[in-house]
Amino acid sequence: MTEFMPLIDDLLVTEEEANNLTYFAFAKPLNGKPLNGKPHKAEPALAPTKASVGVLPDVLAGRYRIERLLGAGGMGAVYRARDLLSEQFGDPDPYIALKILSEEFAESPDASALLYSEFALTRRLRHDNVLRPHTFEVDTDCQRAFITMELMRGLTLDKLLCERPLGLPWKELRDIALPLLDALAYAHARGVLHGDIKPSNVMLSEEGVRLFDFGLGQAGEGILPGLPHLSRNRFNAWTPGYAAPELLEGQTLSASADVYGVACVIYELAGGKHPFRRLPSTEARAGYLDRELHPPKNLPKHCWPALHKALAFDAADRTITAAQLRDAMGATSSWLQRLRLRA
Amino acid sequence: MLVASPWRSAARTDPGKVRARNEDAFLDCPQQGLWVVADGMGGHQGGDIASQLIVASLAELPVQDDFDERLKGIRQCLHWLNRRLGQELTVTAGRHDSIMGSTVVALLVEGNRAACIWAGDSRCYLWRDQRLYQLSKDHSLQQQLIDEQNMSVEDARAHPAAHALTRAVGAAEQLTLDVLELEVYPGDAFLLCSDGLYQGLSSDALGNALSLTAPHVALERLFDGALRGSARDNLTAVVIRQ
Repeated sequence: MTEFMPLIDDLLVTEEEANNLTYFAFAKPLNGKPLNGKPHKAEPALAPTKASVGVLPDVLAGRYRIERLLGAGGMGAVYRARDLLSEQFGDPDPYIALKILSEEFAESPDASALLYSEFALTRRLRHDNVLRPHTFEVDTDCQRAFITMELMRGLTLDKLLCERPLGLPWKELRDIALPLLDALAYAHARGVLHGDIKPSNVMLSEEGVRLFDFGLGQAGEGILPGLPHLSRNRFNAWTPGYAAPELLEGQTLSASADVYGVACVIYELAGGKHPFRRLPSTEARAGYLDRELHPPKNLPKHCWPALHKALAFDAADRTITAAQLRDAMGATSSWLQRLRLRA
Repeated sequence: MLVASPWRSAARTDPGKVRARNEDAFLDCPQQGLWVVADGMGGHQGGDIASQLIVASLAELPVQDDFDERLKGIRQCLHWLNRRLGQELTVTAGRHDSIMGSTVVALLVEGNRAACIWAGDSRCYLWRDQRLYQLSKDHSLQQQLIDEQNMSVEDARAHPAAHALTRAVGAAEQLTLDVLELEVYPGDAFLLCSDGLYQGLSSDALGNALSLTAPHVALERLFDGALRGSARDNLTAVVIRQ
């Protein structure tokens, strides 16, 4: 557990950049007593389970009662929690999602700063298809930072793919691909890069498609100055099957790398198969797998040139933006003939 | 909302005497006729998260009338978790230990039908007519050496990597689950447990405990026995009976 700590200390590249790091002081514990309240909305009753995740308390910041683990990422875990304060005021749906750093990262101010950075990046985005963050907080007793956000109910795309191994028919695919690309195009327009686009970071919720987890995200030049920037020279993380070759080779995150990731997701949704047999893109490139890439079965012909371009291994050949990919996928074939993608 | 279950059960987990963390997790849900033990792996990172995610996800599966549909739901959920813990996992450069996985053994019972689903070396035992049966077969190197190279149990056990798993949720791109369906007889008792529990106890000790009528008493007997030994690993057990 201690092995990772030196790496965390190196999260920031240079000392100058380290000066930009916003450290926050941990306030003294307030009244640690949790508020009492009864749930108004019946979520599934909790079956007795027992497991240890460090010393995570039952109630965080005197307000959020942890109910169950929803997912886990590289540095933290996401739980469903009940906001006892909202509940006390009669909120019919006091449930939220809560992302907290894992125990091993909890003591690192750098890791907390990165979590804050994720919060700030996501808060910058106001789009129907981007998950809405609520607050960034610190539990003073256990000294752990966390983000609260809207609780999505639905299916993540990785689960959807497990249930639909042959992929989705075009109409269904389009209804996911278009809002997803719209969210990504919007984020890019706001100067926010995602950095880890993959099926499990997209939710098909009751309220539509939601892109989430900007934990490896980055703000563009001049956007949100003063926030610590995650440096991929020192801290490089990715999901092997969805990361563009240049990311795996340690280059800076770019909008084009996000386009590669989202194209892999759309390709997989269309036919149930990953474009490059799930291989990391660098290995797929070495094996010339792009030469045998076929359009997926459920994708209309007019969408293929754009998606194909988005899947280019060489960033220089990937000359298509998320917005252009969205326009190509959203175009009807009749006027698509007139649509030309910039070469 | 919940109908009275003819099943009584008791569950417990303990970090043991050596390990600081407990990476085991269990589900004890007699109302739904579902019990699970998961033993997380991944050493210093993620083992506890993996086993907890398995248990939390299985706990929220819808309770349907149709046994076959429920069994299908469990399998589908475990296949999804295999993807989630494997190919969907964000990995950090230079860290080759960023593996997240877990064994799983689940018991689903409805009426006189039961199914045991597992991957890895957590076990399901059945106590019937004063005899102990091991329903699950370990997915471990030791078992593989016995099955495929006709090695004796003693020799296989002496292999330096005898405990290495050959299957687990999150370990490989494709997960193959073993499923055993059986008819339940009156008087049957089941035990789900992690290797930390059965490694420290003889089959006689397991049988003697399961012959006790109250699940919590049986459980206490099992833990008393296992914790008298070295208890180097986390230990978890669920005792189930009508």
